[in-house]
Amino acid sequence: MSKIDIKHLTVDYTEKKKSFTALKDVSFSIEAGEFVSIIGSSGCGKSTLLSILEGINTPTDGQILIDGEPIKGTGADRGVVFQHYSLFPWMTARKNVAFGIKQVNKEANRSERLKIADEFLDKVGLAQFKNKYPSQLSGGMQQRVAIARALAMDTDILLMDEPFGAIDAKNRTILQELLLKLWEGDGSKERKTVVFVTHDIDESILLSDKIVMMTTNPGRVYREITVPFDRPRNRSELVQTTEYNTFRNKLLAMFYSDIADKIGEEVML
Amino acid sequence: MTLKQRYLRIVHALFIVFLLIQFLPNQLTTETYAGYAVWFVVGVEILTLLVSGMIKKSVSLNLFVDIVGFVYGLLIVWTLATAKFNLLKPALFPPPGKVFRQFICDYDKILVNIQSSIGIILQGYLLAIAVAVPLGLFLGWSARLGSAATYISKFLGAIPPIVYIPYGIALLPTFRSVSVFVIFLATFWPVLAGTMSGVMNIEKKTIDSAKVLNVNRFTMLFSIMLPASLQQIFIGCNQGLTVSFVLLTSAEMIGAQSGLGYYIKNYSDFGDYTRTIVGLIVVGIVIVAISFIFNRIQKFLLRWKA
Ligand SMILES: Nc1ncnc2c1ncn2[C@@H]1O[C@H](COP(=O)(O)OP(=O)(O)OP(=O)(O)O)[C@@H](O)[C@H]1O
Ligand SMILES: [Mg+2]
Repeated sequence: MSKIDIKHLTVDYTEKKKSFTALKDVSFSIEAGEFVSIIGSSGCGKSTLLSILEGINTPTDGQILIDGEPIKGTGADRGVVFQHYSLFPWMTARKNVAFGIKQVNKEANRSERLKIADEFLDKVGLAQFKNKYPSQLSGGMQQRVAIARALAMDTDILLMDEPFGAIDAKNRTILQELLLKLWEGDGSKERKTVVFVTHDIDESILLSDKIVMMTTNPGRVYREITVPFDRPRNRSELVQTTEYNTFRNKLLAMFYSDIADKIGEEVML
Repeated sequence: MTLKQRYLRIVHALFIVFLLIQFLPNQLTTETYAGYAVWFVVGVEILTLLVSGMIKKSVSLNLFVDIVGFVYGLLIVWTLATAKFNLLKPALFPPPGKVFRQFICDYDKILVNIQSSIGIILQGYLLAIAVAVPLGLFLGWSARLGSAATYISKFLGAIPPIVYIPYGIALLPTFRSVSVFVIFLATFWPVLAGTMSGVMNIEKKTIDSAKVLNVNRFTMLFSIMLPASLQQIFIGCNQGLTVSFVLLTSAEMIGAQSGLGYYIKNYSDFGDYTRTIVGLIVVGIVIVAISFIFNRIQKFLLRWKA
């Protein structure tokens, strides 16, 4: 049994009586402790797929099983980072993180929660900003607080929708390393299952075990590709190897052939 | 701001002018008690000098000084129009000194009346907020119930609360309980409507963020929806406060044996316009003080707003 089983998922959005199919018959599974990236061009339904996994949206058809059980709404087993900043504006950065911890960890008392919050804010490089309100932080900083919150909640499953999209190159590298380090752990605990949406091919190769490439209109799975590199991965060494570059070119070719296929289809129509 | 800017201002010139006009001969034949007014102004002037050194923000300092300047100006015109030139009917327009003297004589009585009025307002007002906010959160949340409830609360809220007074008098034993009841209603509807529309206007993003954290019902209502709709709740509270004052002072003028409205009405019935003016000034000060405190609370609770 896989950790997450996505079975024939179809999602239609109905607006003003017109229905639009965002996802059509999407099926794939994710093993426990696996790091899976989802890539695909804008509008192919990545956020839609995540919203079903998060439990805030329900599919038109098909279902998702987690540990063999169909998803019924949101759950404390899943930590979420939305594509767009999702902090509570009336809480300071550290209160936001501590609030997330409180929802999943009922044993920790207030000061313990704040301590964990401080620790994770420090990890994302925001120690000095912990007492600021979201309105006093830049977009990228808000996103880092949201990431700190999801990581601090220490859930079995992490669902991240382009978490590093709004973050500058330097901090993005730091955060990728941080995520990798936290996910790989020291072997004492089971690894989290991560579903990670991104636009960035290099990011997906560096981080994941498996890449799910999606195609648009309607959103479908185009390919599932296993990433063949050993862990722990060292970014600067990895990107210099020929294997890496061959693999990367193969992915890029696939990405564009999907678009070429589309154009071909349309020509044939 | 330099020291010069802090201390050299027109207000102080007005202060001198006020002192100088005291040397003009009185036209008014009755006692003017000018000493009381002079002492008051000297007190204000000392306070102004002290405060000028203390307030850091120049905006607040300017505001404060402008208010003092306005008070001085008013007192100068008032003194000239009454005591010095006797342009107005002395019975209706007593000179300022007489009003200040009356204020000091009636100090105890006024305090009791303020207490009575504020006690009634606080009781009805706080009770209304305590009931309307949780109910509004709940009704706003159950969206379907909410849409029907919106119309019901719009209808009931449209009835001017003053018309409940006769019904309240029939229903309730004392004047005090009727007043509390009417203020309760006057506050309840706007706060309920504000809370509900606040909840219904919360961004989906905010609700989803809370949902994925798997918060329970109680946390959703009070830790998420309450702060998220706070601004709209305050609009309702503000409206309720304004109406409450109007209602209470009117009600006190009609049927009470205590309160600021009663004080004013009672003495104007006896033709004691000095005391009527004292009452008016006190009502003004009480309302300004309460809105000041209210604004402070609002600013503090909404300090996270950009
Ligand atoms: N609430 C909604 N109502 C109607 N249509 C929607 C809604 N949300 C998404 N869609 C449509 O569904 C499709 C997929 O949207 P989705 O947000 O899942 O794309 P995405 O892959 O996350 O894109 P991006 O990379 O730009 O974030 C889009 O065509 C979008 O217009
Ligand atoms: Mg998206």
